[in-house]
Amino acid sequence: MIAFLLKRLGWMIVTLWAVYTITFFLIHAVPGGPFDSERKLSADVQRNVEARYKLDLPVHEQYFYHLGRAAQFDFGPSIKLADFSVNEVIAQGFPISVSLGIFAMTFALVVGLTAGIISSLRRNTWLDVTFMGIATVGIAVPNFVLASLCVMLFVFHWQIFPAAGWGSLRQLVLPALCLGAPFAAYIARLSRTGLLEVLNQDYIRTAYAKGLMPRRVVMHHAMRGAIVPVVSYLGPATAGILTGSLVLERIFALPGMGSHFIEAASQRDYPLALGMTMVYTVLLFVMNTIVDLSYSWLDPRVKLN
Amino acid sequence: MKHVGQKAAPYILVALALAAMAWAVSFGTLEPADFTFSNGVEIQTVDPSLATGQPEGRILNALYEGLYRMLPSDDDRTRLVPMPAAAESHILSKDGKTYTFKIRPTAKWSDGSPVTAQDFVFSWRRTLHPGTGSKYAYPIGDYVVGAGKYNLSKVDPGDKVEVELDDRPKKEQLFPRGTILSGILKEILKPKEPKYPTGKTKEDKEEKKTLEGDWKKKWTYVVEVKPSTDKGGVDWNAKGETRRFSKEPEGDVEMCLHTLLHFDESVAIDAPDDRTFVVKLNYRTPYFLELTAFYPLYPMNPKCVLEHGTPNWTRPENIVTNGPYKLKFRRIRDRVRMVKNQWYWGADEVQLETIDAMAVKSPSTSLNMYMNGQLDWATNVPSSMVPELTKRDDFSNAPMLTIYLYRLNVNHESLSDPRVRRALNMAIDKRKICEKVTKAGQIPARNFVPPMTDYLPALGGEFDPEEAKRLLASAGYPGGKDFPALDLLYNTLDDHRDIAQVVANDWKTHLGIDVNLRNLEWGVYLNEVSNIEYEVARGGWIGDYLDPNTFLDMWITGGTNNETNWSNKKYDQLIIDARSESDPAKRMKIFHRAERILMDEMPVIPVYFQVSKNLIRPYAKNFHPNLQDIHPLHILRIDPEEKRRVLRAEGIR
Repeated sequence: MIAFLLKRLGWMIVTLWAVYTITFFLIHAVPGGPFDSERKLSADVQRNVEARYKLDLPVHEQYFYHLGRAAQFDFGPSIKLADFSVNEVIAQGFPISVSLGIFAMTFALVVGLTAGIISSLRRNTWLDVTFMGIATVGIAVPNFVLASLCVMLFVFHWQIFPAAGWGSLRQLVLPALCLGAPFAAYIARLSRTGLLEVLNQDYIRTAYAKGLMPRRVVMHHAMRGAIVPVVSYLGPATAGILTGSLVLERIFALPGMGSHFIEAASQRDYPLALGMTMVYTVLLFVMNTIVDLSYSWLDPRVKLN
Repeated sequence: MKHVGQKAAPYILVALALAAMAWAVSFGTLEPADFTFSNGVEIQTVDPSLATGQPEGRILNALYEGLYRMLPSDDDRTRLVPMPAAAESHILSKDGKTYTFKIRPTAKWSDGSPVTAQDFVFSWRRTLHPGTGSKYAYPIGDYVVGAGKYNLSKVDPGDKVEVELDDRPKKEQLFPRGTILSGILKEILKPKEPKYPTGKTKEDKEEKKTLEGDWKKKWTYVVEVKPSTDKGGVDWNAKGETRRFSKEPEGDVEMCLHTLLHFDESVAIDAPDDRTFVVKLNYRTPYFLELTAFYPLYPMNPKCVLEHGTPNWTRPENIVTNGPYKLKFRRIRDRVRMVKNQWYWGADEVQLETIDAMAVKSPSTSLNMYMNGQLDWATNVPSSMVPELTKRDDFSNAPMLTIYLYRLNVNHESLSDPRVRRALNMAIDKRKICEKVTKAGQIPARNFVPPMTDYLPALGGEFDPEEAKRLLASAGYPGGKDFPALDLLYNTLDDHRDIAQVVANDWKTHLGIDVNLRNLEWGVYLNEVSNIEYEVARGGWIGDYLDPNTFLDMWITGGTNNETNWSNKKYDQLIIDARSESDPAKRMKIFHRAERILMDEMPVIPVYFQVSKNLIRPYAKNFHPNLQDIHPLHILRIDPEEKRRVLRAEGIR
């Protein structure tokens, strides 16, 4: 396992370098710059400002300068949030996005698995049809539509939750719910299909024949096989939850990574955009590695290599 | 191990989820502020030298205080007038050019030390210094004697100059500075000027800028450096030592960071003593007091800036300010929390203890939060909701110092005739644009200067398709025959597109002119407009002060923001005449005549005047709509009892 992790680490460094390089040249190739404005600076003043961020150097020199700093985990000062360094912006935004993501993921797993198990055990009853109907709708509806609906219902009609903002648990419920809903729906379908398949297999029949309680059969023997597709979905789901939060953070005015990322890109805040991209890259890489590791936990037949 | 892992996995997951929830809860609930408002986008900085924009203005107006401050006038609360603030009074010289401010003895920094005239000198110098890169140096640079030259780092032989040596304690920090030498510039040795590319593409322009910048760096300044006196001053009468400096020295030339006009000697910003601050202007400027209430002219605490450096001095734990409020903390893209500054000279009159400025970018979210009781003041709401909101009495929809316009490239062959340009203006149904497209109560523009008291606008060019047709025919294009298709440029945004479509449609229907709509991304659009490579381009202008000048002096020949190739000698002369006119009424008449020329020549088509969209809870007293859309926070009054009652009655909070 140690060898596996070391190998992954090696690949992560290569991936980070590649992502950094591509992102760096892409954002510098995009027309416009951070100091575009209707009010023009005089050439000399503009030069002084650009020099502060090394923007006066040729692009390749900028690249090596910033790459050297980035390798030491220093992304420099943010251009558009002039009072902060990129690391500070990440330090403020990251915990918010992560707690939102964890809530959304927990919600998706709890609701998704519960609905999936009930549906598969009560196959073709009204319960199954209702759950899977809701799941289909849940997958199809984009999260910002769901968000508007939730705001109408839970903020204005019933006045249970605040409309937006960050700071208390109550403010986190709606965004986490909207963010997790499509994933809950998908997990429900996956676990239902997985469980149905497993329930028809011989070892389940054997388990019943040995006289085990149905609950034990389902939870202990069937679930382990049924959950594998769900686990392999967690990698892409994490990616989805991370990127999906971009829109929701805007709607619910959450100061997470997503809003910083969008703004950095659209305002040409090069250092911040690069820093954000790197954090997302690391996050996705780590999540995928964890998912790979969990395969071997759940299914002894899977070997890490 | 593996077996344990398998068994434990679900429990670990549950434990992780619980831990995460506990962690999220641990952020705790903030005590709500006494007053909360949505401040639009996240502010870029709380550094007055570097800030630009309205959201920044709202925060800086609370944290700092200039010599004067814009406050509602006593006889008309919807009119802002400059009132003494960090200065308790001022004396204006007879020629209207020299202002002598008396600093208020009770004016204090938030660390308890007194605000001095020297603090203002330091701050204005910092804003002007080319190394700061302030976008708003012009309110000082354009008016104060010597300040513009200092800001643009222009020096001429014979000038008294200051040379900063390359020995700063921290190279990237402007302050604290390196050793400053004073002397008289003898000559500038310039190497051969490089050949610049002549093209007009962005690359060519960049290339030219780089080459020119590199060339200027190689200039060698020959300076007669004067010795310093025992008191730390400069002995200008003594014979000096001739030394040579350059930013990129070769041979025995010394390295310098900046060679600038001598600030103390040649820039007319002085502090004869702690309480006296003297500024000398290039010409009479009736709105100068208003400019001192503009944040680039606010004082910064020299000790704080020098000790922590930029940007660290702006951190909540370091920052020292002189306004009614102090910076408590900032959560990026969430809020700026401000608390009352006990050291503020008028602290007794400041009622609200804490204020939250929320960074809410989406106007819909802002509206939701207001309706939900999370905000006391929403500074922006979705335009589409305005027709609904105008029925409410907590919504105010006042005109602003902002115009939406179309620039016309007067060098383009089909647009060179003023009759064509006037015809284009008359063929636009601006009322329809305001009522059907923008919908937020915008005012169709019949001139350039937004409605101001005391100024008689040069109205004209009413929507009149028949007259427009006649004008176009007299210019040689009856019914739009042979008129080449026009290219209409705007930056990518739905609102601009919708307006452009109405304009294009009007020109097609009424004049028979085909219009191609072309949208470009912001940066590219700016480049095309500043190179004047467009035919018709959308634009806008926000006035910086309440005077017609801010809308008229931009159209002078070669003005940075003219960008239409339009040039009119008579117009230029009128703008200059207005500067020296001491009689306010006559001055306004001059502006009126200038605007009349603009309306006849029509290098720009005014479309509409923007309106503010403020939703404010009626329990917040002393909030009045005004042209500048500036609402001082420290004069707000809220009765907490009433607030509680109102919110409870609405079933919120």
